[in-house]
Amino acid sequence: MALQSAALAESESGAAADPAGEATTSQGPARVWLRVLRAPLTLTGVLITLVFLFLAVIGPWISPYDPSAVSDAASAAPSASHLLGTTQNGQDILSQMLYGARASMVVGLGAAVVTTVLSVLVGVTAGYVGGLGDEALSLLANVFLVLPSLPLTIILAAYLPHSGSLGIILVISVTGWAWGARVLRAQTLSLRKRDFVEAARATGEKTWRIILKDILPNQVAVIAAAFLGTVTGAILTQASLAFLGLTDVTQWSWGTILYWAQVSSALLTGAWWWFVPAGLAIAVLGTALSLVNFGIDEFINPRLRQAGIGTKKAQRAQVVKRRTKRVKQRGPVVARPAGAPFTPDSTDVILDVRDLKVDYVSDGSRTPAVSDVSFTLRRGEVLGIAGESGSGKSTLAYAITRLHKPPAEISQGEIVYTKADGGTVDVLGMDEDELRDFRWEELSIVFQSAMHALNPIMRVGEQIEDVIIAHRPRMTRQERAARVVELLGIVGIPADRAGSYPHELSGGMRQRAMIAVGLALDPEIIVMDEPTTALDVVIQRQIIEKIMELKDRLGFSVVFITHDLSLLIELSDTIAVMYGGKIVETAAADDFYRRPQHPYSRGLLASFPTLGGPKRELTGIVGSPPDLRRLPSGCAFRPRCPLAFDACAAEIPRLYQVTGPDGGTSRAACLLHAEGAPKSAAPNGPDATDGPDTTTTNELATGEMR
Amino acid sequence: MRILFRKICFYLLTAWAAISLNFVIPRIMPGNPADNLINQFHGKLSPSAVKALRVLFGESDKNLWQQYVSYWHSVFTGDFGTSYAYYPSQVSDVLGQSMFWTLTLITVCTVLGFVIGTALGMLAGWKRGTWLDSLVPATTFLSSIPYFWFAIMVVYVFAITLKWFPLSGGYAVTETIGLNGGFIGSAINYAVLPALTIVVASVGGWLIGMRNMMVTTLSEDYVRLAEAKGLPKRRVMYAYAARNAMLPSFSGFAMSLGFVIGGSIVTEVVFNYPGIGSVLFKAAQAADYPLMSAIFLLITVLVLIANLIADIAYVFLDPRTRES
Repeated sequence: MALQSAALAESESGAAADPAGEATTSQGPARVWLRVLRAPLTLTGVLITLVFLFLAVIGPWISPYDPSAVSDAASAAPSASHLLGTTQNGQDILSQMLYGARASMVVGLGAAVVTTVLSVLVGVTAGYVGGLGDEALSLLANVFLVLPSLPLTIILAAYLPHSGSLGIILVISVTGWAWGARVLRAQTLSLRKRDFVEAARATGEKTWRIILKDILPNQVAVIAAAFLGTVTGAILTQASLAFLGLTDVTQWSWGTILYWAQVSSALLTGAWWWFVPAGLAIAVLGTALSLVNFGIDEFINPRLRQAGIGTKKAQRAQVVKRRTKRVKQRGPVVARPAGAPFTPDSTDVILDVRDLKVDYVSDGSRTPAVSDVSFTLRRGEVLGIAGESGSGKSTLAYAITRLHKPPAEISQGEIVYTKADGGTVDVLGMDEDELRDFRWEELSIVFQSAMHALNPIMRVGEQIEDVIIAHRPRMTRQERAARVVELLGIVGIPADRAGSYPHELSGGMRQRAMIAVGLALDPEIIVMDEPTTALDVVIQRQIIEKIMELKDRLGFSVVFITHDLSLLIELSDTIAVMYGGKIVETAAADDFYRRPQHPYSRGLLASFPTLGGPKRELTGIVGSPPDLRRLPSGCAFRPRCPLAFDACAAEIPRLYQVTGPDGGTSRAACLLHAEGAPKSAAPNGPDATDGPDTTTTNELATGEMR
Repeated sequence: MRILFRKICFYLLTAWAAISLNFVIPRIMPGNPADNLINQFHGKLSPSAVKALRVLFGESDKNLWQQYVSYWHSVFTGDFGTSYAYYPSQVSDVLGQSMFWTLTLITVCTVLGFVIGTALGMLAGWKRGTWLDSLVPATTFLSSIPYFWFAIMVVYVFAITLKWFPLSGGYAVTETIGLNGGFIGSAINYAVLPALTIVVASVGGWLIGMRNMMVTTLSEDYVRLAEAKGLPKRRVMYAYAARNAMLPSFSGFAMSLGFVIGGSIVTEVVFNYPGIGSVLFKAAQAADYPLMSAIFLLITVLVLIANLIADIAYVFLDPRTRES
């Protein structure tokens, strides 16, 4: 149950398919709760709370004196006979504190119970019923939320003079239910739309059963947080009321002790022991409860859990490698010669990635999300990277741009960039300033969802302009404005849209604006991480055509990442297929389409229709993508591979060179291409000329391709 | 603009609800508080005051609707009758004198608390995982302390032991109230400790809220993109992360403000500050219902106005709300 709420929060946390994010959802609920407890601060909070609860229960039995009994030892400082000293009338303060613990706890817990019940009733009803009932209840909650609660409480308490704990509990509950109700309403609303609730409704299950079985269990964390918050609030409010003399001042509570201390001018007589313990007790208990609540907060909102985000290392984008000491020299800015159109035999390498490895680090274990990835990108080339979700393609994109945050860590490898003057530099070895120059000047990135990637509260023009301000400090305001208009024009956005906010643009226009941001400084490389996935097909087509047109006009190189293989084949010069964090095949797009060499590539190609060519049966790949934390031995694709043989379990295949009959060259990480492989099963069969081998792909059977 | 219109309607409705609540509460309370109160004065109340008190508790020959109408009349004319705690002063006079003090103190402290708390929260969120994390338990402790107790400790340390600041009151009695240097200086001197109490106790709430939002915002794509754009760190922190992370602080302003005001009221009592809090304390001691009702109304209206201001600020900060 707690599991689902974690999953809920998890799904909100959004885009990245980080294996670390998935880790929390795949554990049992009990373990998730244990994890909450394991945080030292949370544990401290729980322990302190328990101690206070225990004292409240046994207080009257262990208190050394009658709290109201007057004695001769007036205003005595703490001593062996009176551990916390005495009051003006010689009453024992320790005894008053112990009795007071009970009164304060009763009010705190009682008010929290009543308030929580009210919140749940109103919140869940409003959220579940919807319509007019929801409107009315929400309005009521909002009204109570803005009414200042303490003055209202004081009025109510004053009209109930000398009421006991029960009166105070009721007063606090009446003024305090609104916040919880509002949060729970919002939660119920979102839960109601979720599949498992819809399913239960469709099967005609009774409303109260759905609420009890499907809705409430998913709100446990929120309800617990509201409950603990109310306990703290109620104890504070009770203390305030008691201090103001609005409760029965003869009933001992922490607030009453402070009331008598104030009335007797304990301050002026220097009797610090009279007012220190009560306030400290309230503060310590309140802190303890808040600490528990933080634990719950971090549980509800997993982003808060990511530790170490602000550390030096994280600021250096999680590169393990030590920075290479280099004499910093800013050579004269050399304009790159205009690039010739890309040809497949070009050797003009602009980016060379070698043995890149990215791990997700959690609790001492490392999950490799990308391992031993090497490829080169040449000037003007479009390199397409394909793979299922979780194959490491987005992780790779972030690594190239050095945008990783904990728990991701680049533990190995080199990313060598060729500068305009012909020199090379390792991107992973750059310091902050160099990195800042490199970013956007040389390399820009276009994210999957422009909706999320554009700052929602900043005008589109301003988001383009700030890049220019940061990198071209000498440009005047007019020049910048002209450039913004020019960039928007390049991607086909009317100039007057520069003043629009992202939410005012259509989806396609937002994505084009995003591309305009990417083009702002004429970068050499643009990394595109599923730039069109969120768009409908027509818009997708427009955007792709725009990108290709711009590429030809401006001559940048593209690393294009998507799971849409048909798109990729169409627009890429070279294709790399990723599986389980590794590149399993790389080839020229044409060769790849006609002769996929890796069984996985064949499976992928067999799972979508082609636009032209003969009809064929669509097949998929059986099974699901591998769990990166528990990769199978040997080849990661082995369990799903119809052609696997014994050696596949023993050896992790490296990329083998495969030459096609007409001279095209592919590289595939499959032992079928190794020396001495069982030739009978080799996929590079005699029918290589007419597309994917239909006989082998049929064996792959149908399965869901994600 | 439509959203502002709706907000104003909402606050008008809330004001109506609060004012009506204030009418209803005395009439549904058990017992006979009017008689108790009249007896306390042992016949020293003027007949008109006795009559006003009975009217407050609904003991009137008029029917409920007529009572309600005349109640509204008195709300708009500011005629809340005679105060018993400050007998024979009028309630409106008592409030008129004390309101200024509280308004100034709370406005300054709320702004200070918000600015300091949000700024620290921004830093703590930005530098998550560094020593700044220790701000969280520390400020949690500070915000778990009852305001009035913290006030007592502050008085004990700074006024009684160190004698740096005056013990209680709002200004030195030797000064004459008015816009003169001596009075203003003295008022500031007297306000330091109460202000310190309120600011320190309220910073924690803003800090923790802002820090959590900041950490959440930092993993948004637009912050990542801002970094990828090679923008200066400050620009990423302020314009991209903090500006977005701040928004919930504004929409949650209502709840926090109510909390700060509640705390400030009790703080005033400790310092014997000449504001509404101290008046409320006296009113509660003397069971001065007319005064308490009026204070409740006054504070509610002020809080509603503050909330409206926060909402307007929100509309300016978040363009998405401006959509019609």
